[in-house]
Amino acid sequence: MFPVIDWSLISLEVLMAIILVGLVVADIVLPKNTDRDWIGTFSFIALFGLILFWLTQGHLNGTTFNSMFVMDPLAWFFKGFFLIVMVFIFAMTQEFFKTLGERRNEFYLLLWLALLGMCFMASSSDFLVLFISIEILTISLYVMTAYLKSDKLSIEAGMKYLILGSLSAGFMLYGISFLYGTTRSTHFDIIANFAAGHPMSAMALFALVLIFTAVAFKTAAVPFHLWVADVYQGAPTPVTALLSVGSKAAGFVVLIRLFFLVFKAWHPQWSLVFAVLSAITMTYGNLVALFQTNIKRLLGYSSVAHAGYLLMGAAAGTALGAAGINFYLLGYLFTNLAAFMVIVIFSIAAKSDTIADYAGLARRSGLLAWGLLLALVSLAGIPPLAGFFGKFILLMAVIKSGYVWLALIAAANIVISFYYYLLIAKRVYVDAPLNDTPIAVPAGMQLLLVLAMAGIIIIGIFQGPFFAAASHAAAIIP
Amino acid sequence: MSFFFFFLFAAILIAASLAVVYARNPLYNVLALVVTIFALSCLFVTLEAFFVGMILLLVYAGAVLVFFLFVVICLNLNTAGRQQASPWLFQGLGTLAGMLFAGSFALALMSFFKAQAIPASNLRGTIEAVGKILFTDYLLPFEMTSLLLLVAVFGIVSLAQGALSTGKDEAL
Repeated sequence: MFPVIDWSLISLEVLMAIILVGLVVADIVLPKNTDRDWIGTFSFIALFGLILFWLTQGHLNGTTFNSMFVMDPLAWFFKGFFLIVMVFIFAMTQEFFKTLGERRNEFYLLLWLALLGMCFMASSSDFLVLFISIEILTISLYVMTAYLKSDKLSIEAGMKYLILGSLSAGFMLYGISFLYGTTRSTHFDIIANFAAGHPMSAMALFALVLIFTAVAFKTAAVPFHLWVADVYQGAPTPVTALLSVGSKAAGFVVLIRLFFLVFKAWHPQWSLVFAVLSAITMTYGNLVALFQTNIKRLLGYSSVAHAGYLLMGAAAGTALGAAGINFYLLGYLFTNLAAFMVIVIFSIAAKSDTIADYAGLARRSGLLAWGLLLALVSLAGIPPLAGFFGKFILLMAVIKSGYVWLALIAAANIVISFYYYLLIAKRVYVDAPLNDTPIAVPAGMQLLLVLAMAGIIIIGIFQGPFFAAASHAAAIIP
Repeated sequence: MSFFFFFLFAAILIAASLAVVYARNPLYNVLALVVTIFALSCLFVTLEAFFVGMILLLVYAGAVLVFFLFVVICLNLNTAGRQQASPWLFQGLGTLAGMLFAGSFALALMSFFKAQAIPASNLRGTIEAVGKILFTDYLLPFEMTSLLLLVAVFGIVSLAQGALSTGKDEAL
C-alpha cells in the first residue's frame, strides 16, 4: 500500500531539493561571462529564507514515509545548526573562490547537496536512509576535497579521504547487514524494541562495532582519525571548515540517535568503550597538535581532541550528556568557524597556512587578530567564552555518571591544549611581523567574523537560552 | 539441491575473491572480479532474488567491470614496480587484523546459530515484488538515491573539467 506522507515533516528537505534544482537550472541558463556571483547570491537569500522557515518548525514531532523519516526536537536543533554552518561556509567559499574564478558554481551545488545529506542524517529513522544520507554527504565532500586539481595536496587529500571513507562505508553496510540478521529489521523503532527485550548477543556486538567504526570515522575519533590531518591540510579551507564543524556534528547527531535512543538498552555495556576511546582520542589529539607547524593541520588535531571531549557526553549516556554534546557543538560552531574565516582571509592575502607566517598578525589586521585570539581562547576553554561552558557541562555529565577518572584526564588535556593554542596567540600579538602590509578584510566577511565573535562571547556569558535549546533537543532521551 | 548449489557457488566466490586479492597482473584481478560477481549473482538466484541477481550480472559484470577492463588495458599498468616499502610489516599487521576480524566474525556467527534459525521468507525477488516494495515502503530511500546520483554527476563534471589555477603551485 502506498504510504501516507506527512509533507509538513519533510518540508525543509523538500524545499532544499527544490532550491537545488532551481540553482542547477539557473547555472545553465544564466550568462557565464558575468563577474556577478548569481548562484552565490541566490544561495544566501535561500539560506536565510530556509532559516526563517526552520524557525516555524520547532513544534514538529513525528515520523513519516513509513516511519523512515523522523522530525523531532533533536533533528530540528541540528538542522538549524547545519543551516547556520552553511551561511558561514558559503561566505567563505565566495571569498575563497574570488581568486580562483571559474568552476565556483558547481562547488555551491555540491555544498547544497552536502547540506541536504546532513539534514537527512539528522532525520533518518532507518538504517537504509541513514546510509544513503551519509553517502550523499561524504561523496560531495570527496569531490570538494579534491577540488583544487592543480594542487597536489588537494588531490592527495581527496584520494585519502575517498579510500578511507569507502572503507568506513563498507564497514557500516556490513554492520547493518549483521544487525538486520539479528533483529530482522533496519528500522530504528523495531531495533530499539528488540534491544529493550534482548541481551546484546555476540552478533549484535559485532554489528555495533562495525557501525560505530563508521560513525567514529565521521566524528574523527581515534583510532579512525588517520585521514584528518592530511585531508584538513589539503582540502580547500571552506571544505576543511565544513569537515570540522558540519560533518562532525552530523556524526554526533547519528551517534546520539543510535547509542542514546536505539541501543539505549545496551548502553551500559558500551559506556566504558566510549569512555576509554574518549580518553585516548583527546590525549592523542592534544599531544600531536603540540608539534604542528601548519595551522590547518593543527586545527585538524585540535578537532580530534574535541571529538574526544564530545565523546565524554556519549560515555555519560544520559540526557545531560546529550545536552552537553549539543551545547558544546553550538559553541564549537562559532569558535571554529571564526578561526577558519581568519585562515581563509589570511591565506588569500599571504598565500600561506604556516603558523610562523602568522607572526605579528595583530599589526596587520586588528580584526583578524581579535577573531583568531577569541577562537583560540574559546577552543582552549578559558572562561567566560563558549568553549569553557561546553567543557564544563560535559565534565559535569561524566562525573555524574561516575567517570571521575575521565574527567581528570580531560582536565589534564585542557591544560595541555592551552600551550599550543596560546602559542599561536603569542605569535599573533607579541612576535614581530615578517611582512608589514595590512590585510584588507572584505565587508561581508567582517560582518560574519564579528557575528561569530559575538556568538562566542554571548554563548559564553548568557548560556541560559542556549543550554535550554540544547536540553530541549536532548529531552527526547528517556 | 539448492544446498549443493549454495556450497558450489560459495566456494567459487571465495576462490575468485582470493584471486582478486592475490593475482599479480591487474588484468587477472579484474577478470577474477568478473567471476566473483557471477558467483555472487548465482547465490542471489538460489535465494530466489532473481531481479537482484540479474541486475548484478548486467550492471556489474556486464558494464562496470568491462569498463574497468578497458581502463586497465589502456593504462598498461606496470606490474614489476608494485613492490611495497616494507611488505613484511604490512603483511604481518594485515594478517593479524584479518585473523582478529575472522575470529570475532566466527564468534558472532556461533552465537547467532545457537540463538535462532532463520525462517524462510515467502517473498520472491521478482521485478514485481521489488518494484512494489521500492515504491511503497522504501519510497524515501529510493528518492534519496536520486540525490546521490546528482552528487555523482556534479562530481564527475567538476572534476573532469580543466584544472584550476590556484597560484599555490609555485609555493609548493
